[in-house]
Amino acid sequence: MLNTVGILSLILAGLMIWIGRSAGFRSFLSIGINFLILLLNIRLIAWGFPALVVTLLSALFILATTIFLGNSNDQSNETAFYATLLVLAVLTGLIVLLQGPLSVQGFGNENTEDLEGMSLLVGIQFQQIMTSTMLISTLGAISEAAIAEATGLTELVKMGSDLTTAEIMKHGFSIGHEIIGTALNTLFFGFFGGFLGLFIWYVKLNYHFAGFINNKIFVSEIAMVLISFIGVALTVPLTVIVIRIRAKNLRE
Amino acid sequence: MIVGLAVVLFTKYDAFMYQQPVGQVTKVERQQTTSEVDNYQNHDHQTTQLVELKILNGSNRGQKLTVSNQYSDSQAMDNKYRVNQQVLLSIHTNRHKKISGTILDIKRDTVVVALIVTMVGLLIILRATGLRALLSLAVNVILFFIAVSLDVHRQGFGVLWIFGLLSLVFTAITLVLVLGWNKKTIASFLATIGGSAASLIIGMLVFTLTHNQGLHFETMEYVTQNPEPLFLAETLMGALGAVMDEATDIIVSLDQIVTANHKITGQEIWQSGKTIGQSIMGPLINVLFMIFMADTFSLMILYLRNGNGIGYAIQMNMGLGIVQSLISGIGIVLVIPIASMLASRFLKKEAINHA
Repeated sequence: MLNTVGILSLILAGLMIWIGRSAGFRSFLSIGINFLILLLNIRLIAWGFPALVVTLLSALFILATTIFLGNSNDQSNETAFYATLLVLAVLTGLIVLLQGPLSVQGFGNENTEDLEGMSLLVGIQFQQIMTSTMLISTLGAISEAAIAEATGLTELVKMGSDLTTAEIMKHGFSIGHEIIGTALNTLFFGFFGGFLGLFIWYVKLNYHFAGFINNKIFVSEIAMVLISFIGVALTVPLTVIVIRIRAKNLRE
Repeated sequence: MIVGLAVVLFTKYDAFMYQQPVGQVTKVERQQTTSEVDNYQNHDHQTTQLVELKILNGSNRGQKLTVSNQYSDSQAMDNKYRVNQQVLLSIHTNRHKKISGTILDIKRDTVVVALIVTMVGLLIILRATGLRALLSLAVNVILFFIAVSLDVHRQGFGVLWIFGLLSLVFTAITLVLVLGWNKKTIASFLATIGGSAASLIIGMLVFTLTHNQGLHFETMEYVTQNPEPLFLAETLMGALGAVMDEATDIIVSLDQIVTANHKITGQEIWQSGKTIGQSIMGPLINVLFMIFMADTFSLMILYLRNGNGIGYAIQMNMGLGIVQSLISGIGIVLVIPIASMLASRFLKKEAINHA
């Protein structure tokens, strides 16, 4: 007996294979594999393994799965992968640094209903789980931006092979501008669309501006949007740099 | 840069703008710590700390206040306060004009503003397109709140229509501001609306066919109205940005190719569109999937540490996020053929005109 999740998965798989043939199938597979990595990530942290170490390992596997399984073009894949590793390093530093000042770990007062009857003294630091949440939430966005940038540039180099490095740079930033512009929307809608209910809650219960701008859940969401966005913005120059280094190495 | 720093510094001293009392932690004194073991053999500690605060605003400005605070190692809902942290307070004055108070929440606006300033700074470094994107974001935020107020006013009645209409306006404003008024924009707009509408209709059909089997709308968080239409509205909104991103990515990249090579045929454009789409659909679905899943981590771990099986934990916390990701994914894939087809018609003509 198929339930809703099963049927929707089949439809998605069918559409992806129709569009991308074997590449589409691999893309669909990458989503499934990422789901398993996420579950393993959660399971290991719940067993008490250090959250940051587990998450960074998961992040490496998720980036590799998303980039290499999702795309058949080896050249742009490697470029995108190296670029995302650089971005990941920067973001890890940023997120760890921000945990103290943000103090958005755990749950807010708005979650009280979900927590009924649960023990909160579970002996796991929720601040570390928040670090994990924030890191994982950026991965999709930075790999997507790196792939879009790397694929766009590689297609361009293929179409007009007589382009100079300066022209590649120019086109790279031209593609980058638009990627950044639209990525902002993906992230903004992705985070806040899912929290429509929460916003209705804020308005219904007449939250003051001060109560809302300092609210734990709101701040954790907006911090994730902003950190992801910073990651996406960094992806553009870092991808161009990786392409240049790789082009230089190829010539030598 | 300097303006940005000034704004961040300002929020550190913006307590006077708050109506509710704000305090700054001046001293923290740790008292006793007790060991706790819960029903599931989880070991934790509860620590009491005496927090000395200086009130920064209002009629009690400058006065000192001492508050006792209890926190756990997990800090699931409590906080360990540190010196120099600013907090929001509730202050009571008794008959003898002695004040006492409780800490309501941490003041987090400085970090939020610092991050926003960083983002705006990056947009400025990356110049014009970024700024227009920011403007569209600002307009969208305002429209979003108008729509939310309208929904509250109508008590959730017609939520899908309100946010469906809002999506049309969002898409139009964002695309015009980011891409300007040209054929790229029209093609992206049509592709975005087509993809979103198709995925939502498919989602609703499947819900009806399976009689919502395996869907647990009662597990939705922060619900104050009928959950099913709200869920669909959330899905539509959540995916809209990504679908728009996809449509724009394909059409912008194709436009770059057409500009670099004027002799390209419509068939080649369609093929390139599918190649580009193929390689971004997986990553783009993963963007939303990661966002929807990462948000469940804290609850997942709490469930697991409370002796629940992983199957039950997934069902309760991740189920709806998975459905949301799947419907969004369907929209993201459907945009590829729509955008490629539109691009091969719109952009090709433009290229001929240029030549």
